[in-house]
Amino acid sequence: MPNNTITHDVIVVGAGLAGTWAAMVAAREGVKDIGVLSKIHPLRSHSGAAQGGIAASLSNTRPVAGTGPRGPLEQIPPGEEPVDSPDLHMFDTIKGSDWLGDQDAIRILVDDAADVVYEYEHMGCVFSRTPDGRINQRRFGGHSAPRACFAADWTGHVLLHTIHEQALRNNVKFYAEWYVMNLIIEDNICRGVVAMDVLTGEVHTLRAKAVMFGTGGYGRAFKITSNAFANTGDGVAIAYDAGAPLMDMEFVQFHPTGLYRHGILMSEACRGEGGYLINNKGERFMEKYAPDKMELAPRDLVSRSEQTEINEGRGVMEDGQGIFLDMRHLGREKILSRLPQVREIAINFVGVDPIDAPVPIQPTAHYSMGGIPTTVDGQVIANAAGDPVVGFYAAGECAAVSVHGANRLGTNSLLEASVFGRRAGYAIAEFVKGGAQLYPVSGDPAERQRQRIKSLLDRDGDELVEHIAQDLKSTMTDNCGVFRDEDRLKVAMSDIKELQERFKHARTMDKGRHFNTDLLATLEAEHLLTFSEVIVAGALARTESRGAHSRTDFPKRDDEDWLKHTVAHKTDDGPKLSYKPVSIDWEKYPPQERKY
Amino acid sequence: MFDFIFKRETPEAIKKGNKAIVRIQRFNPEVDEKPYMEEFEVPMTPDTTVLDALHHIKTEQDGSVTFRRSCRHAICGSCAMNINGSNDLACHRPLSESLDYHGKITIKPLPFQPIIKDLVVDRTTFWAQYMKIKPWLIPPDDIPEKEFRMSPEEVEALHNAETCIMCGACYSSCQVVGLNKEYIGPHALLKSFLRTADPRDSIPGERLEIVDGDNGVYRCHTIFNCIDACPKNLNPTEAIETLRKLAQKRLAYEEAREERQKTLNEPIREA
Ligand SMILES: Cc1cc2nc3c(=O)[nH]c(=O)nc-3n(C[C@H](O)[C@H](O)[C@H](O)COP(=O)(O)OP(=O)(O)OC[C@H]3O[C@@H](n4cnc5c(N)ncnc54)[C@H](O)[C@@H]3O)c2cc1C
Ligand code: SF4
Ligand code: FES
Repeated sequence: MPNNTITHDVIVVGAGLAGTWAAMVAAREGVKDIGVLSKIHPLRSHSGAAQGGIAASLSNTRPVAGTGPRGPLEQIPPGEEPVDSPDLHMFDTIKGSDWLGDQDAIRILVDDAADVVYEYEHMGCVFSRTPDGRINQRRFGGHSAPRACFAADWTGHVLLHTIHEQALRNNVKFYAEWYVMNLIIEDNICRGVVAMDVLTGEVHTLRAKAVMFGTGGYGRAFKITSNAFANTGDGVAIAYDAGAPLMDMEFVQFHPTGLYRHGILMSEACRGEGGYLINNKGERFMEKYAPDKMELAPRDLVSRSEQTEINEGRGVMEDGQGIFLDMRHLGREKILSRLPQVREIAINFVGVDPIDAPVPIQPTAHYSMGGIPTTVDGQVIANAAGDPVVGFYAAGECAAVSVHGANRLGTNSLLEASVFGRRAGYAIAEFVKGGAQLYPVSGDPAERQRQRIKSLLDRDGDELVEHIAQDLKSTMTDNCGVFRDEDRLKVAMSDIKELQERFKHARTMDKGRHFNTDLLATLEAEHLLTFSEVIVAGALARTESRGAHSRTDFPKRDDEDWLKHTVAHKTDDGPKLSYKPVSIDWEKYPPQERKY
Repeated sequence: MFDFIFKRETPEAIKKGNKAIVRIQRFNPEVDEKPYMEEFEVPMTPDTTVLDALHHIKTEQDGSVTFRRSCRHAICGSCAMNINGSNDLACHRPLSESLDYHGKITIKPLPFQPIIKDLVVDRTTFWAQYMKIKPWLIPPDDIPEKEFRMSPEEVEALHNAETCIMCGACYSSCQVVGLNKEYIGPHALLKSFLRTADPRDSIPGERLEIVDGDNGVYRCHTIFNCIDACPKNLNPTEAIETLRKLAQKRLAYEEAREERQKTLNEPIREA
């Protein structure tokens, strides 16, 4: 074996909720030797940024009798009728997904929800409470009952810290600030990864019997995004380069309330608690688009409504690209107790206190429905037929299991990362304890990555990597954003091809080895260019509108031709698309028109 | 009608040029003998943050300028640094409000921790102290089918500690940490408080013993630097004082916890 080789029974890449759950559970199940790699310190993972809540049909609260479906909430007295159930949660999720979600996976998601939330609670997560001491719940868009369990508006933060602490308690080994660059799959068997220790700049091969990806989303491919700097979709790009397929990449959720120009999220809880959306005429325009659910219609619909208002000249701010989120009527007390973090964000970033004034917002790229396709046990599949990639698992936002289909409901993704991260942990433990082997790797994969780095650093073109990344983000937002059509998507595709060429001559400024974050940004930019092509290819091919994918030239959903998942494989001529059927219970949940 | 938005007071010097001078402490131990200051000029609008400025410098001017960041909205804890002499998060701080009368801002790494490169510090001791206090909850053996019951007041009492993002601004402002790396430090003591005060935790006695030692709560000289430094407006000193008091009546506190845990599975009765 070459130098610098590290071995573990299990390697987990990513220390957000999905990866940490998998590692913690596998450790608890008796797998001793687990290494978790994260390009940033585990507690910096993006899961910690989630604000609003995690869904579970606990039926702890209901609207006060006589106040209607949007009235104030109270705890449900013991013994009284529940207002929620896994079945209702299931229906909402299927409808939210515009019927592209796999119903076998959604069944598991909603059935495991309560258990996973209670497990968080038992591990120390500090949830907000009802007066009688149960977990408090609030409304969220697209959910027909108050289903979001929350800790004020820092839910993800407390979940992430809780699960990280429990992983430490179970002696999981973390490699903080290790950047995974490559996945080793030979003969359809996953054998390990190649990673760079950011501190030293040294590149290592890490071999394992099982590798699990929990590498998070890809929102950074867009100009306006709520996503952290880290969300560059490395995992999906690396898996794709290694020959694994990607599924449904064209489905990218735009959240209706990103802070104007920054894209930083103003949680949906702002509307869940009763905030209004207002155009430059002072109208609550959602009346026109979703008279029933109003501001709490699902995100794809609200974002399109905002974009329509903006496109038709009813936007706010100097450039007319904004919408106002008005929360003044909620009152000081509610804003301070329920939305303290979003208030600080509004004050710090646009200088507006929501207690006194409406906050300017705009749609922002937020969530990646697509990703690495897996079974309900996190097993990555190699093709549309469902054959496994042995020893390779994935869960969370980088995976497509697919519970979100064409559009995710808020609070379902913390749930997904937890439920399917946990399931992957059990599956991996069983796989390893059942006699999985450490397969050899051929050649020296680390050396190939060292050469890759060397060639990136040796380039001295006159163009900076950042400019290429910026151009990519602009074209993705303008041409592959809230509204799409063939002409614009073709522009996006040719832009991406050109940017991939330009990237070959791009210059990285920092030439050192030690803690070189400029080099990381270069590698990340390369990954953005890789998977963005798959997003656009899928969007071009899909000649219908479904969920977050909205084609103005094909405004209708087309179940006849398009009730199927896009599966993309890498070839020398770009992404090769095939299609996979959706798991549907035709008796119980057949496709319906999606109206709110 | 909404023209008050984006009308922030900015110093005269900047109003004219819409530019700021950013002074950054540079140090790459691979090549530099000692740290030195370097100045960069960046464009500025009223909503430019200090992190935006750093990012502009890194991506447009000098890619070797090194700092940590991820979330950009004060929740991941990556970007704590020393700005104009006090510790803060670069991402939530408006640049225009951080300039002196010459339109300059000075940025250095967090003090009292070894420098890895520029604004990136080695947090080994910071995390070692966090591990020392056993940050994980140990629940009672009797796990209910649903949630443990906690009153809203019990939850409220933990808020001060629960929102800590482990940014280290407090740790690097603490004179005691500066003198003694064995000191557990404000961040970890705050975390210890979070666990100790949680009615679901079963080892409050053991926790109080850990923080009661030589390098624990008695090291704190109540200088309050940590409170000034904390970008989340938390109060580690108060938590440390509470731990101190609890440690003095440790046995009684343990008994009270055992008593409380007997009703953890029962509804809270409203007063
Ligand atoms: C602002 C915001 C608010 C949100 N609010 C909610 C909410 O209220 N409710 C909800 O359900 N969902 C919410 N979401 C979505 C939800 O937070 C995410 O989908 C979920 O946390 C993803 O978890 P994860 O474990 O898959 O990935 P992440 O938490 O993103 O973790 C990814 C991990 O992978 C690591 N990684 C990535 N690439 C590499 C590499 N190359 N090498 C090594 N490590 C790597 C990272 O370091 C990180 O540890 C929100 C999202 C955003 C952006
Ligand atoms: S107490 Fe405040 S300053 Fe200290 S680590 Fe926590 S958030 Fe940062
Ligand atoms: S970038 Fe996350 S706290 Fe500043």
